[in-house]
Amino acid sequence: MRKIWCFAAALAATTALTVPMVVSSAQPVLAQDAGFYAKAGAPYKGTTIRVLDEITPLQETLSKIVPDFEKETGIKVEWELLNHFEVINKGQADMLSGRGHYDAIMLHGAQLGPMLSAGVIMPLDKFVADPKLSDPGLNAADFIQAPYKTTAFSDGKQYGFINWNYNHVYWARADLLNNPEEKAAFKAKYGYELAPAKTIEQMRDIAEFFTRKKGSTLAGQPLTSDFYGIVLEGIKGGSTFSNLWVNFIENYGGDLLDKDGKPTFDSPQTVAALKMWRELWTFAPPGIAEYSLVDVPTVMGNGIAAQSLAWSDFVLGIDKPGVSPYAGKFVYAPIPAKAGNEAHRHADAEPSVTVISAASKNPEPTFLFLQWLADKKQQDKLIEIGQGGVPIRESSWAAPAITGSTNPTLFAAMKSSLDVATARPKMEKYPEMFDAMSGIAQQVGLGKMTPEQGAKEGQAILVKLCGGKSCTL
Amino acid sequence: MASASETMTAAGPQGAGMRERAWYPYLLIAPSMITLVVVSLAPFIYAIYLSFHEAKFGRVRDFVGFDNYMTLLTDERFWNSIGVATTFVFIAVPIEFMLGLIGALVLNQNVRGRSILIPLLFMPTMMAPIVVGLLWKIMLAGSWGFFSYNVLERFNILGETSIFASPDLALYALIFVDIWQWTPFMMLAFFAGLQALPLGPYRAAAVDGANPVQMFFHITLPMMTPLLAVIGLLRFIDAFKVFDTIYILTNGGPGISTETPSILANKMTFEFWNIGEASALAVLVWIAFFAFCSIFYQVAKKRLNAF
Repeated sequence: MRKIWCFAAALAATTALTVPMVVSSAQPVLAQDAGFYAKAGAPYKGTTIRVLDEITPLQETLSKIVPDFEKETGIKVEWELLNHFEVINKGQADMLSGRGHYDAIMLHGAQLGPMLSAGVIMPLDKFVADPKLSDPGLNAADFIQAPYKTTAFSDGKQYGFINWNYNHVYWARADLLNNPEEKAAFKAKYGYELAPAKTIEQMRDIAEFFTRKKGSTLAGQPLTSDFYGIVLEGIKGGSTFSNLWVNFIENYGGDLLDKDGKPTFDSPQTVAALKMWRELWTFAPPGIAEYSLVDVPTVMGNGIAAQSLAWSDFVLGIDKPGVSPYAGKFVYAPIPAKAGNEAHRHADAEPSVTVISAASKNPEPTFLFLQWLADKKQQDKLIEIGQGGVPIRESSWAAPAITGSTNPTLFAAMKSSLDVATARPKMEKYPEMFDAMSGIAQQVGLGKMTPEQGAKEGQAILVKLCGGKSCTL
Repeated sequence: MASASETMTAAGPQGAGMRERAWYPYLLIAPSMITLVVVSLAPFIYAIYLSFHEAKFGRVRDFVGFDNYMTLLTDERFWNSIGVATTFVFIAVPIEFMLGLIGALVLNQNVRGRSILIPLLFMPTMMAPIVVGLLWKIMLAGSWGFFSYNVLERFNILGETSIFASPDLALYALIFVDIWQWTPFMMLAFFAGLQALPLGPYRAAAVDGANPVQMFFHITLPMMTPLLAVIGLLRFIDAFKVFDTIYILTNGGPGISTETPSILANKMTFEFWNIGEASALAVLVWIAFFAFCSIFYQVAKKRLNAF
């Protein structure tokens, strides 16, 4: 879900300028801490491991740090970065074929269920228990716990460390929300202050308020084209359904599955959430059903919509001078909760791990590499070089690049999402389920199916896919 | 006797030479036959094998008989894909056929600038399908598409939706794109056929006082029938298998409103990793095509004197 073709180049250029300075200044630190990995990696010196990961600004930054591992251990790392779909297809095909070309492959949380059920991921427990390989200073308690625990472990076994904490945040135009005329008009109409939405109902009001036709005024300026109150991902596939599922249905108190993993999609809470989903689509641009997770930030960056729910790592590529004319005019906030249900809030996230292929011929050095990546020192460096990023460690929130960021509301929103973020349930038939349910999300959003029909049909699909049994592993 | 002996002596070496040379044609066609078997037949036989097995996540497990076929045949989504492809083919191909034939007849009238016009007309067909997909995405995409933004949204023609976001319109947009891409191919194929027709029958008809319409129906059409049948069949098969442009423009959506068997098979294989059912789908589509083409071949051969 991480394609940022358009913006990767801009971020890569920035990092290319800053990385040499930071990396060169980091050399003395590296020499001080070289102890454990130099010793643990000694038996594997000269070994080459192949790692497949996805290309986003985060990985581009990380790739600058990878040579440090090679210097420290003598283990050579072939670090291959591909786009979102290629990583999924090529990575899964390699694992499922048993060829073992790649020793380690990045899997999105959603891929874990099918790959675990195929038995192609190597558990890490024996390496974690091996004092020669396990870094005593790793401090797993420092990982942001909810995504780490729900992603890296399954059925009592550990399959990875947390690598990428992709998460959704609320994203709005601060210049509009702070405009005095707009604030006054909004208060007159809705009876409360215009501000970043804290509840889904407020998000709906803001969406309605700012949906305007060409020729009307927006913040005192005449509109030369239509303006929309909200933009959401609506394409079939992508993360359309996860947005609906977690940010809406779960916040309304519904869910896809019950505690036993049985389908529970036809609940009144789901119907209510689908009604809101449908209503919000009426305040979105006409092409919403074609919008992918790449299009949503593009629309926001081009100033076509007032607010959105979007992936925070995409925001990093947009809200910067020279990329969007509205850079610096955005505000971020936690994912809005359902009014009255704020204590049980949810936020969509896709925590992801790099796993060792069961067919890997070099599992030990690969384990060392994955552990090294998750180490605090590397994570601190990643945040520093990337001038922010998406942390996987609690301690990273205190990093100067984050505390001193020019975009503090973004990191506060990220933290809020990651505090409650969990991985998707591990389901063998996740791809089939996701494909069918994203179709329903589209149909309901477009008004081609009523919320009641959507809930009923979704439930029937889940029951059929799971065959009356638990849908989870 | 002597002559008989000579004959036998002469026949001996000649017969042996012929026998020795009997393998020669087989040797010549061997490379293409081996390629055909390796590239086409072997994978197809393997697909049939897979279709009778539970093959999930790249692992071939138990023999399941016709279970994969039964699952597909009772799956609404499979029948929806057949319906989508059938609608696509039965609207797109006849329109391409008619427009192509009309265009060919016009071109055949010695229109000025024909040598410039023909390469220009052929441009859509020369484009890679992925380029065609991207081109029409740029034209018709919701909100930012050139046509969508400047026409549909400016005049509020589609209200709160866009072409590819509308389950009612997306398929027809894909049909339009197919017609745009393939009509020139039909036109030029038919034009080449018209150019090859002998002039004698036309001269005789002119002497007999036949008008152009009579000439078309009694001379041109009967003589062109074999070509029309072959081109029509090829286009029919090709249109049913369409994948690239749909993959780029809608990927089968919204919902499953533009999901053809090719798109569904791709999803089953590379998203769901359900290779057993995907193989069964491929085999079913092949059987349907084989039956259709066989019937078409027989009818075209007997009634239309084609092939």
